[in-house]
Amino acid sequence: MPTPETLSLLENPDSEPLILLESDLTEEANFGSRTLIVTKSAVEVREPGGATLLRTEVSDLRGARTEPLVSGGRLLLRLKSGEEITAISFSLTHSHQFSEAARGIEQLAEGKDFQINLTSERTRCAKCNRLLPEKDGVCPNCVNTSKTMLRIASFLAPYKKQAIFLALMACVSTGLNLLPPKLQATILDHFNEGLRSLPFLYQMVGFWAITLVAVAGLQILNGRLMTFLGTHISSDLRTAVYRSVEFLQLNYFDKKPVGAIASRVTQDTERVWFFLVDGLPFFLINGLMLIAVTGLLLSINWVLALCILAPLPLVGFISVRAWKPISNLFHRVSQKMARVHMHLNESLTGIRVVKAFAKEDHEYERFQKRSNELRDAAARADMTWYTAFGVMTLCVSLGTVIHWSVGGYMLFTNRLSLGEFYMIHAYLGMVYGPLQWFAQVNNWFSRAMAGAERIFEIMDMTPEPAARKGLNQVVTGAVTFESVRFGYDKSNPVINGVSFDVKAGEMIGLVGHSGAGKSTTINLLSRFYEPDAGRILVDGIDYREFDLRGYRSQIGIVLQEPFLFHGTIAENISYGNPGASLEEIMEAAKAANAHDFILGKPDGYDTMVGERGSRLSGGEKQRISIARAILHNPRILILDEATSSVDVETEKQIQVAIQRLVSGRTTFAIAHRLSTLRNADRLIVLERGKIAEMGTHEELMTKKGAFYKLVQTQSQINEIIGIGTGA
Amino acid sequence: MKNDMRVFYHPEGRLRLEFEGKCYLSVVPIWASPLTHPSRFLALVDGKGSQILMFKNPSQELSAENWQVLQTELQRRYLSSQIHKVLEAKTEFGATYWTVVTDRGCKEFVTQSLQENAQWLGPDHLLVIDVDGNRFEIRSVQGLDEASRKLVDATV
Repeated sequence: MPTPETLSLLENPDSEPLILLESDLTEEANFGSRTLIVTKSAVEVREPGGATLLRTEVSDLRGARTEPLVSGGRLLLRLKSGEEITAISFSLTHSHQFSEAARGIEQLAEGKDFQINLTSERTRCAKCNRLLPEKDGVCPNCVNTSKTMLRIASFLAPYKKQAIFLALMACVSTGLNLLPPKLQATILDHFNEGLRSLPFLYQMVGFWAITLVAVAGLQILNGRLMTFLGTHISSDLRTAVYRSVEFLQLNYFDKKPVGAIASRVTQDTERVWFFLVDGLPFFLINGLMLIAVTGLLLSINWVLALCILAPLPLVGFISVRAWKPISNLFHRVSQKMARVHMHLNESLTGIRVVKAFAKEDHEYERFQKRSNELRDAAARADMTWYTAFGVMTLCVSLGTVIHWSVGGYMLFTNRLSLGEFYMIHAYLGMVYGPLQWFAQVNNWFSRAMAGAERIFEIMDMTPEPAARKGLNQVVTGAVTFESVRFGYDKSNPVINGVSFDVKAGEMIGLVGHSGAGKSTTINLLSRFYEPDAGRILVDGIDYREFDLRGYRSQIGIVLQEPFLFHGTIAENISYGNPGASLEEIMEAAKAANAHDFILGKPDGYDTMVGERGSRLSGGEKQRISIARAILHNPRILILDEATSSVDVETEKQIQVAIQRLVSGRTTFAIAHRLSTLRNADRLIVLERGKIAEMGTHEELMTKKGAFYKLVQTQSQINEIIGIGTGA
Repeated sequence: MKNDMRVFYHPEGRLRLEFEGKCYLSVVPIWASPLTHPSRFLALVDGKGSQILMFKNPSQELSAENWQVLQTELQRRYLSSQIHKVLEAKTEFGATYWTVVTDRGCKEFVTQSLQENAQWLGPDHLLVIDVDGNRFEIRSVQGLDEASRKLVDATV
C-alpha cells in the first residue's frame, strides 16, 4: 500500500518509484510490514510510518540477489565496495515478487533496460478481505452464487423441455402428497358425525389408492428425469472443461501440476453433479413441501399451527450447528482410514525390506497404532452422531407432543374436528422429517458453487490462438529466425536475439549446455509459444499468419522420451493419420526398423503397448515414435535425441531409422551424439540464449571455439564413465 | 568447549569464523534437525556448504558472545514461527483460515488440504504449512490453552 510519504515521491519524476513492494516481516523478523522502494537512483527500505531504515544509491550498487531462508528469504544488495548487505527479509508469501525486484535492481545497477514482470498479487479477496487460498484466485466465500447458478442453468438450455416438465411434475407430486391426509380426515369426520356409509368409505379409499399410484408413478418419473438431467448436464460440463483444458496455452501446464488440472475436470464436475442429482431435487421437493404444508396448517388452524411449528427454528438451528462438527468428525475418520491404507500399501510394497531388516514387529505396532486411531475416530464420530440424532428426534417429537396437548385440548373442547386433528398430525411428519437435513444441503450447495466457479475459471482463460483463422497451405520447410526474443517469464528472456536461415530440406543440429535455449527454440518452432519480439518465417511468411493446427500438422516431433498412448502398436503409429491402412503402417514401421520386432510379438501390430507404452522397452518405444513421425510425413521435423542407454545394436538400428526419417525434410535435432552431429548439414551452438557459433562440424572443429570445447569436455566425461564402468 | 573459536560479523551482515588458526568467510549456522531436536545439533558450514563444526548443545558449548552472535543470525535465517495461541481456525470450502499468535506476533494464514499440510511430527507436535509454504509449528498441542487446543483438535 502506498503511504502518503511514498506518494509524495511521485512528484519528483527522477524518484518515481519503479518498484514498490511490501514485506510482511519487520527488521527483527516479526510479523509486520516494511516497504521496499526502488527508484532510478536509489533503493530504500521504509517502516510503515515512513522512517527510512536503509538507503543505498543505485550508483553504489553492483547487483542484487535474493537468498532463500527457512519459511522466507531476504534481499541482498551487492555494493561496489564488495560488501553485501541485507536490505529486507520476507516470508515465502512474497518471495516471488522479491526475486523479481532483485532482478530489477540488478538491471538498474548494470545500466540495462529496466524490464521486470512485477504484477501485484492479490492475496486477499477484494470484497470480504479474506485471505485467498490461491493468489489471484477465487474467494470461496464470495463466489457470486446467483451468477454461477445462472451459468450452470445455461447448460440446461438443451434440455429446456425436460426441465420445465420436471418442475411442473414436482409441483403436482407435492400437491398429490398432501391429498391422502385430507382424504383420511374426511373419512374420520364422516365417522365422527355418526354416519356409516360404506360406499363413501370405499370411494375415499379408492381415491386414496389412485393418489398413491399416481404419486409413485410421478416419483419414478421425476427421479428418472432428474437423474437424466443431472448426469447430462454434468457430462456436458465435464466435456466442456476438457475441451477448454485442451486449448489452454502450454504455459498453464508448466505452472500447474497435471493433478490439479485433472481434479478440475473430475472432482469439481463431480461436486456439481452430486449437487444436481442429489442436493437440488431434495432441496426443491422438500422446500416446496415445507411451504405448502406450512400454508395448509395455517389455513386449518393458525393458532395450533404456530404452536406446533414453534420448535421448528430450534430443529433448524441444531441441524446447522451440529452438522459442522459432525462432518468434521467423519472427515477425520476418512483421513484415518486413508492413513491405514497408506501404511498397508507401503509396508506390503516394501515387504522385502521389512523382512530383510526383520522389522515385522515394528510394522505391526505401527499398523496397530493407526488401526486404533481409526477405531477411536470412528467411535467418536458415530457416538456423536447418535447423540445429535437423539436430540434431533426429541425435538421432532416435541412437535407431536405440542400437537397432542394443544390440539387435543382443542379437540376435546370441540374447536377442532377429529379429521382436522388427524390431518395436522400427518402433515407434521412431512415438515419435520426433511428439515433435519437442510443444513447438509446448504453445505453441498456451497461446495458445488465453489467447484462450478473453478470450472468456469478455466473455461474463461484465454485459449491458444487455435481458433484464429489463418493460411492453410503446405509449406516447403524453409525456416528463418529474425532476431527472436522469448522468455517463459517475459522479463527473463531465454532466447535473446537469435537469427538464422535454414533452407528447405536442411538438417540442423542444435548444440549447447542445458539451459542454453535448445528446447525453447524447438518450442517456438512448434509454436507452443510465440516470440515476444522478432519474427519466425516459414517459407518467407510470418508463421503467425498460418492456421495454428494446419501449421502444426506439418511438424513432426520425435521426443527424447517417446510418449505412446494406451492402445495397440498400429494405433500408435497411425496416431497422426488415423485413416492409414495396415500396409502404410507397416511401410512406416519398416523404415523405422521396427517391423521385425513388432512381428516378434505374439499379437504383432495388435499388441497393446500398455499405459504410456510401459510394456515396451525404451528402444522399441523410440522406433515406434519414429515410425509415427515417418507415417505422419511432416515437412519440418524436430528430433529431441535420446540419450537413453540402449544396446549398440538397437542404437545402430535407431540411427538408420532416423537417417531415413530425416532425408528430404527440414530437420532440427537437439543432438547429443557425435554421430548425429556429423550427419547434420550445419550446427548451431547456443550459449545463454544467443548463437555462439554456426557452421558445419568440420568448420567448428577446426575453429576450436565453443563447440570444440563442448566436444572436449564430452569426450573427457565419456572416458571417466568408461573407467567407472570398467569398460 | 571450543575455546579457540570466535564468530563475529565482518563486514556487517556477513558472519566470519576464526577457528584453529583458520578464517572462514560467510559462515552459516544450520540446525541439523530443527523439528525433532530443537535447540540442539547446530552446524556451522562454510560458504560452499561443507560443515566446519557441529555443536550438540550450542547454548552450553559456546561462549556467551559467540552464542549471542549465532542466535542473532539464526533469528534472521529461520523465519518459521511457533504458534503460542490459536485465536481462530475455520474450515470452509476445503480451505482453513487461521488467526494465530506466534513468537513473531499475530498472523493470519490459509492452509489447504490439511491432510498433507498439517503434519504430526510426534504425538503432540504439529507442523502446519500454509498455501505459500510458510511453516508454523506447535511444539506441544497439549501445552496450549484450552480454547486453542479445542480449535486445533477440531480442525486437524
